[in-house]
Amino acid sequence: MSDFDLVDIEVTHEPPDNVLSVDPDETSEEHLHTVQAVRLKAGQPDSELRSLKQLDENSVKMLEHQVDAAYRALFEMDGKALLSDEVGLGKTIEVGMILKEMHFRETNDSVLILTPAQLAKQWQAELREKFGLEFVCNYDDEFRGFDSHDYIIASIDTAKSDRYRQAVLRRDWDVLVLDEAHYVKNEETDRYELIDHLSYNYAFFLTATPIQNELTDLYNIVSLLRPGLFGTRDVFHQYFVNSDQETLVNRNELQDRLNKVMIRNRREDTDVDFTDRRVDTRKFEPSPAERELYQAVSDYVKGAYSQDQGQKLVLMLLQKEVVSSPEALETTIRKRLDDQSELTQTEELESILDLINNIDTVTKQERLLDIVEEARENVEKGRVIVFTQFRATQRRVAERLVSEGYTVHSFHGGHSSQEKEEIIKNFEEQGGILVSTDAMSEGRNAQFCNILVNWDLPWNPMRVEQRIGRIHRIGQNRQVYVFNMALTDTVEEYVLERLFHKIDIFQQSIGELSEILTRLEESGKSFEDEIFERLVNADSEVDLENDFDAMAVDLQEQRDLAEKLEEFNSGVFEGFDLGASDD
Amino acid sequence: MTDAAVPVTQSAVENFTARYLRSLGCQVEIRDNEWQVTIPEGVETDLPKGEHALVCGTAEDLDESYEQLHPESSFFQSVLDDASDRAPLGGTRIDATGTDIIVPDWLQESPIPVSDIDFTPYYDRSALVVLFRVSVETVSEYQQEFLRSIGVDVRSKEILPHIDETFLTLTQSETAIVPSRDIAVKPEQVEQLVDASRKTLLSDIQPQIDKIHQGASRAADAELEEYRQLQRQREEELETKITHLRSRIDDLNKSIDDKNQTERVEALKERRECKSKLQEVETDLNELRRRREQGYPDQQREIRDRHGLEVVVTPVTVTEIEYERGDAAFELTDCDLTRILTVGYGSGVGVTEAVDCDGCGRSLSGENPLGAIANGVRCTVCRDS
Repeated sequence: MSDFDLVDIEVTHEPPDNVLSVDPDETSEEHLHTVQAVRLKAGQPDSELRSLKQLDENSVKMLEHQVDAAYRALFEMDGKALLSDEVGLGKTIEVGMILKEMHFRETNDSVLILTPAQLAKQWQAELREKFGLEFVCNYDDEFRGFDSHDYIIASIDTAKSDRYRQAVLRRDWDVLVLDEAHYVKNEETDRYELIDHLSYNYAFFLTATPIQNELTDLYNIVSLLRPGLFGTRDVFHQYFVNSDQETLVNRNELQDRLNKVMIRNRREDTDVDFTDRRVDTRKFEPSPAERELYQAVSDYVKGAYSQDQGQKLVLMLLQKEVVSSPEALETTIRKRLDDQSELTQTEELESILDLINNIDTVTKQERLLDIVEEARENVEKGRVIVFTQFRATQRRVAERLVSEGYTVHSFHGGHSSQEKEEIIKNFEEQGGILVSTDAMSEGRNAQFCNILVNWDLPWNPMRVEQRIGRIHRIGQNRQVYVFNMALTDTVEEYVLERLFHKIDIFQQSIGELSEILTRLEESGKSFEDEIFERLVNADSEVDLENDFDAMAVDLQEQRDLAEKLEEFNSGVFEGFDLGASDD
Repeated sequence: MTDAAVPVTQSAVENFTARYLRSLGCQVEIRDNEWQVTIPEGVETDLPKGEHALVCGTAEDLDESYEQLHPESSFFQSVLDDASDRAPLGGTRIDATGTDIIVPDWLQESPIPVSDIDFTPYYDRSALVVLFRVSVETVSEYQQEFLRSIGVDVRSKEILPHIDETFLTLTQSETAIVPSRDIAVKPEQVEQLVDASRKTLLSDIQPQIDKIHQGASRAADAELEEYRQLQRQREEELETKITHLRSRIDDLNKSIDDKNQTERVEALKERRECKSKLQEVETDLNELRRRREQGYPDQQREIRDRHGLEVVVTPVTVTEIEYERGDAAFELTDCDLTRILTVGYGSGVGVTEAVDCDGCGRSLSGENPLGAIANGVRCTVCRDS
């Protein structure tokens, strides 16, 4: 490269005095030991990921490319690496292995993981369940600030907020992990400034698409990790970027440099392979009593929200419960009546309780029996997992299935770890039906089962994918069946039909979904909030439909953008062999 | 030349430590993960004498009476230090019987299979295998060290490309038993041979040094660029200051006549101070501009000197190896035709002479291997033409 002058090299040849000064009468065995000792001294401190044998194979199945990436990031890149695998290859697992190894070696006294807000809890769950690493998340009740815990997962925007920024910057972190590192592509943003000012010893940045708009993005991200690797911004532009900003030149030299800091595995080079997934959405006409209840709750939610937007969370909950089960709804309504004696809408709530009492048969309950029977008849070893969001619903579903003579297992967050393990073990051994809350969707795996029923539907597609991910994962060797249950003309149907199916969310991988959702989040929107706002603000049925269609268009755009970016990055890095250098 | 460093795995650590300590006459009792080591008073070693309770791997909340044994543990580092200084000069022998015959690359790449090999040794020769530590240091990167081996024939001073590899393979084994041999080579010869191998060493390691060199140069350039920007910024600040001072002086000039005596004196005083300050700032600015026009030679020199590379080459072990020289007969079979090709060969060294194509006279190589044996020895190019 000719843009700079080379610095001087001074070579000193030391004479072999140290060799000749020693008595040559030593035995050959001693000389052999000396040679071996000298060779060991010159070797890499370690070439094994020593913590791997501690990992539970049932919790995490490590793939060769992941182990290799973790090894290279730790030992060949001195603990500062940009993990840029293509979407869906398990970058989180790679970081999990790295953190586990650092924990094993006690080099991780303080770790800060910065993620998009939507993914913080998922990171927490994965690290806990797959690697046994406990982190506190900024959304946890026990979170007391960035100076009060040593292992923290936080949304990057929380970390950079005025409230926390100083505390984050005051500390010297051992390890910084930055998920969706393209968030810091622009050097003029607060996010970039935060990372630039953070003090840390080791850093692992993750993104499938390091280049978002222009090649400068790559420069910015890499320069945060390894200042000076590309020289100055001007030199980078002059030397590596074609003037049209879309292509790279001097690719070999660039690859050499990137090899020092970036790891990019491609799908075609790995042995990641998933079986097919079949999704069957069943819609049912609610009974007149259920319809009346749904209408009353929806009206109540709409009215209450217009009066006080502060109660958004509980109103959202009611709207979700009404399509899950009368029991789930009743619990919340009663709690609301008990807790808030000054509540103005007591009468409305009492009348909802009346409507709940009028329900004799729960439509979904009856239809579930059909699905279970059908699935078990058609699938060998037809174990079934039924997912619901609510404990009350879970109890009802389980009781009914028991009364029908099925072997039923219940799984919820109230069990101890040991109990949870036992439940999964029993389910595997005895077969039958596992009725579970979303407590299981984080971590516990059941590849031995290949039928899943979504009794009710989380509005956040990541939650849906986490449920499916329990059975549709590496190690599953059968086709996976996903049944979605929805009552017609309810929010469930809108979410399913107008949003999830339109953009084919059931066929996206976790990685692909997170790309879409974090793009949405970047534009300042929360998925669940969006759904709720549209639901309560629509003036008519037609309005509501149009609103959901508009949201689907938005999602579709983000998905297209995510796909285009992935393609663009693949194009830019095409022909790059970012594997370990031979020398 | 071969990279002589070996991966320092936990198993390598345990294996070496146990063998080394026992060879010194220490007692090592191993119970699962815990070792009880006794280093008796009479043992000649710098390791602390007495009892040591070791725990393999890293363990949390370890009792103070235990020491850890893993690649970075201080106990293991002491063992390595002790062992690496003990006998840097030694001798051994490589017999054909103890090593595989090395098939040259022009036969390995050839379509004609080797059906048999026979080596007949005629006489012994000596070679030195030197392990060199090359340390490259620069301010912008951590110090990097390489360990490289080179084999050189004692009599001819010719570099023997395979003997160091053979030696490293033999000594790599955890249960390596290398035959003992007295050292015949004299210290002056060792010095000459070490010097003779330095040139090859440096040219072989040049690509790595080049990479570090370029990285250091880039870092120096980036620092210089930063310095330039800072100076430019400083110039701008001074320019702004000058503008303010001039403007203040103008204001004072205009107002001096309108003031009463006391105020006038104050204003004149202030004007004098401003002018003096202005002169000072202008001098600073001119100096900055002058240095910019010259390209900041002092800074350039200082920064580039600081980022300069320091390469230190140190021979750390020398092994005299006695090996056998003779002829190797490679039996080659191509369809029904069998031919025996006899070439000079050394045990652990491989083929010692070049074999030329009977057609074009060029030497056979990995790139241009043996192509045919029907009409003498033919390279692939001649066979195809």
